Amino acid sequence: MQDTLNRVWGLVKKEFLQLGRDKLLLGFILVAPLLELMLMGGITGGGVQNLPLAVVDLDRSRASRELFAKLDQTDELLIKAYSDSVAQAQEWMQSGRVSAIVVAPPGYGEGLLDPHASAEIHVIADGSSYVVSSAAIGAAESVAAEIVQDIAVRYGVAGGEAVELRFTARFNSALDGQPGAITMMLGLIVYQVTLVIASQSFTRERELGTLEQLRVTPLGRLELMIGKAIPTLLVGLVNCLLMTGVAVAWFDIPVRGSLLLLMLLTIPFILTQIGWGTLISLISRTQQQAMLSVFALAMLEIACSGFLSPASSLPEAMRLLSYFSSVQHYIKILRGVALRGAGLGALWLPALALAGIALSVTALAWLRLRLGLGTDLLKQRLQIWRHIYRRERRRRTGSRTRKLNAQKPQPAYVDVRVKE
Amino acid sequence: MSILVKEYRHIIREPRTLWMVFLSPAFVLVALSTIFASGRSCINLALWDKDHTSLSRQFAATLSSDDDFSVSYVSGYGEVESLLMRQNIGAAVIIPPGFADKVQSSDAAPVQVILDGVDTFVAGQAAGSLLGHAADFGLALSRPLSRPPLPLQIRSRSAYLSGEAERESMIPALIPIVFSLPVMAAALALARERETGSLESLVATPVRGPEYLGGKLIAYVTTALVGLLPVWLETTLLFGVPFRGNPLLLALLTADFLLASVGMALFIGNLARSQQTATVIALFIFFVPGFFLTGMIEPIDTTNLLGSAISYALPSTHFVTICRAVFLKGANLVKMWRPSSALLILSIIWMGLGTLTFKKRVR
Repeated sequence: MQDTLNRVWGLVKKEFLQLGRDKLLLGFILVAPLLELMLMGGITGGGVQNLPLAVVDLDRSRASRELFAKLDQTDELLIKAYSDSVAQAQEWMQSGRVSAIVVAPPGYGEGLLDPHASAEIHVIADGSSYVVSSAAIGAAESVAAEIVQDIAVRYGVAGGEAVELRFTARFNSALDGQPGAITMMLGLIVYQVTLVIASQSFTRERELGTLEQLRVTPLGRLELMIGKAIPTLLVGLVNCLLMTGVAVAWFDIPVRGSLLLLMLLTIPFILTQIGWGTLISLISRTQQQAMLSVFALAMLEIACSGFLSPASSLPEAMRLLSYFSSVQHYIKILRGVALRGAGLGALWLPALALAGIALSVTALAWLRLRLGLGTDLLKQRLQIWRHIYRRERRRRTGSRTRKLNAQKPQPAYVDVRVKE
Repeated sequence: MSILVKEYRHIIREPRTLWMVFLSPAFVLVALSTIFASGRSCINLALWDKDHTSLSRQFAATLSSDDDFSVSYVSGYGEVESLLMRQNIGAAVIIPPGFADKVQSSDAAPVQVILDGVDTFVAGQAAGSLLGHAADFGLALSRPLSRPPLPLQIRSRSAYLSGEAERESMIPALIPIVFSLPVMAAALALARERETGSLESLVATPVRGPEYLGGKLIAYVTTALVGLLPVWLETTLLFGVPFRGNPLLLALLTADFLLASVGMALFIGNLARSQQTATVIALFIFFVPGFFLTGMIEPIDTTNLLGSAISYALPSTHFVTICRAVFLKGANLVKMWRPSSALLILSIIWMGLGTLTFKKRVR
């Protein structure tokens, strides 16, 4: 036991030495997450503001000018251009100069004043960005509702609604987008840092040829895995703690629940990434492949994490897949503990899921490690099995197949590769 | 030239690398696209009916009449609170006692709504559809109210979209981020030569720095460009996104985008001493900002100076605009002169930086 500890400690020390030697890497691992969180936190979650709007006034009445002034005053829209023709405004939209067009057709003002007629306005929004077009249409609709209300009051026909909804927003009374965005960023940044460090661990040693040296040391496979995991785990935890500090001090994000619980539940999250990273680094032959696999995996996880659209709106297959996404569960925990002040009692489901994922991914990595450190080992075995299977089949079937098989080149048993 | 051949060989020798540089954009695009397939989402709603009258039940029925909400019935604040804590519901509706009386007399009957404020997107969606349902309920009652015809009608449409709005507008915008895969591969290729020491052998050859970098650049840009074909086929045929622009123009601008991004990647590869460092830097630049700073989801906030400066320095930002314009708007080069010239300038800047920082010497 003492020996094991000593050996693992030695490996951990070596990993940290390696990490400390590259100042740029160290800076990027420790400082870049904080900078990125500050930058992204300041930008995202603000919602849509000041979309450039083109107005086409074909009515030229007081009412139409009032309408445009009201549109200009909304948060979402800002008048950028006036035009006399719809076609010209559409040209502008095609070139991206404006995001929405509001047209007051001739007779708008009269229609509005005449109690027996009705007026009309046209709104064209740039559908090439869905968020933009729905925000622009929503803003125009609320302005229209306001005008209708004004007229109703003026004529004394304002009828009460049957139901009056009284909204309160729990956990975030001002419905500020920032806390949600920052917790999401925090989770994603911890995710990317730990996954990248873990994914390079074995591939790097293999590519530089130092893996063979490690194999001749008395380090066992499990010790190797633990020794490789500890530095990543520590880096991830430190990152998470520092970023939580930034979120609290810089962005005034509350941590309503227990910080200790949050850190404890961060451990299985990081362990999952270490498991995935180790698995990828064992499968990949070069670091380039490892990095591409990491990026592909990260995209999948992001797709499942429910940040682009809520998890409940995913198609069935993706929803099933999303239960295996550690990011999704971790974001739930992060938001639960920090913003809702939830305890383990409310979060047992995602916590359990996270622990389960961490365990199974680590087990997978361990199994892959047991198969051997050479990447070609699996392939070789497959080829041997395939060869045995073919021989069996050849023995059983007639000569026709034998003839055909004779023409085929025999599979190579050993993949001979010259190291460059 | 021989450098170019060598780079191609590097890419092709490993089937896995070839697959990843050439096909991974198409593969990742499928994964990312499926999440936009379903469109409308269903919000879980807790309903607590304290009134227990036929009118309050009618109101509850209105809420569950379509796919906007999946309603579960609760009784008690404790239950609402614990459902909110467990993040099982997006909103809770509480109908107070005396609801029916108030509706029948012509007062407005108050109904309490508790939104989960953490995810503001879901909260906004829930509030909007609840308001709509409440208005429907009022109309269905057809109260004896002198409601004149609406004096103002608003006709709105989203231009350029035909079918599923969200999907059609998002999928072209995802193309830049899926192409960051081959771009990042280029950054690693450069760092790899330095780490494994094969750069030292290159020092001994008469190959000059710019030639060497040019070979790398062209190899990765062309391989990735070939990967545009499966991406394009997939977008138009599999996902049915309309393509209204010129395919050649798209290819040309994609090449420009790749030149700028690979130039940026070479710059990263020069800074990094090891592949690990290159990966970390590349991920910090391409991954989170690639999603959040490029205007893919929300438009760029121009009031934040630092943020928009970084946004415009990323080639992806301009390429998002271009992809959307070419696919959906059918814009030509004149219409897109702004993003395309920005891309051209960026590609010159990043390639220049990449060449300047490259030092062909042994450390």
